[in-house]
Amino acid sequence: MSRYAVNSLLYRLKKDPDFRAKFISDAGTALADADLTDAERAAFLARDMRKINELGGYLHLVMSIPGLAAH
Amino acid sequence: MGRIVFAGAMSHVLDPDYYQRACGALGRRTVEECMREIAGMGERFSATKADALIVVADDHLNAFSFNAVPALCVRIGRHVQRMSQDHAEAFDKVLDHMPERYAVHEGLANAILERGVERGFDLALSWEAPVDHAFLSPVNTMHGTRPIPPLVPIWVNCFVAPQPTARRCFAFGQHIAQVVAEGPWTAGIIATGGLSHFPELSLPRVGETDTVFDRRLIHWMETGEHEPLLGLTGDELHKAGEHEFLNWMVLIGAVTPARADVRYFGELPRINMAAVEWRLA
Repeated sequence: MSRYAVNSLLYRLKKDPDFRAKFISDAGTALADADLTDAERAAFLARDMRKINELGGYLHLVMSIPGLAAH
Repeated sequence: MGRIVFAGAMSHVLDPDYYQRACGALGRRTVEECMREIAGMGERFSATKADALIVVADDHLNAFSFNAVPALCVRIGRHVQRMSQDHAEAFDKVLDHMPERYAVHEGLANAILERGVERGFDLALSWEAPVDHAFLSPVNTMHGTRPIPPLVPIWVNCFVAPQPTARRCFAFGQHIAQVVAEGPWTAGIIATGGLSHFPELSLPRVGETDTVFDRRLIHWMETGEHEPLLGLTGDELHKAGEHEFLNWMVLIGAVTPARADVRYFGELPRINMAAVEWRLA
């Protein structure tokens, strides 16, 4: 598990609308270069914020990414 | 000689629509009652005609990315911008209708920073970091349509482990009080966030609070017993969802041994809302 990889990706999804749009339209391509474990990648591909939080994603990020947030 | 003329701490997601969505009618009613008390605190603060308002709050991974996460950071410069977020959700949405630019009290901010470093606080500084709801929701609720005095925004790393200790935050607050006393300005100080919510920063536990822990903190603040607060550990605060109490520890250090009066305490499933004001000599 990489706390940095997971959270820097969450941060980019929140703050970079172009990257977020790319992720929403084709998550696999958007994540192609991301340095994630298999479990982390699967959680992002499934947009499973609960799992991402369990894997170290900060709560305030998983709750506030436009269009992807868990509430 | 300067002095601190007002001190208050309060919850910082002050948005009736957010709590309506999260907790229904009780959520709306609770936050509106809390906001009324905070507005009253703002009227008392404005009556002091203070030169500056020091705002001690935390970053919700908005101002600081994972490039660097400062333990304690003083915002310097002449102005500070509101954080902007496209298609804002949840607690970010409260910022949408707030003014975008605020004056910074450059002299006081620089003094806190420079003398802090001289006295052994390895403070971070920023000319650019924007402020989010943790700063602006309380400030705007306090002031309504009245002018907002120049701010001194100070961030405490409340969320990204390892955080500064409660004892260190208290000591930094004592430093702030010393700087104010040495200077020509009067200042108010507010600390924001809390009380108990989001234990362990775990999504499945959103909706839990630790009211017993809150009551214990409140008792110590009301009685001016600050020594037990110094021993609070990061693990205790994390488990009880009291991460943002580190902001309050800075304020308590600045006004110790003053006693606090609770203006509002209301339990919600998502968070315990609070507004507290200190009796200053």
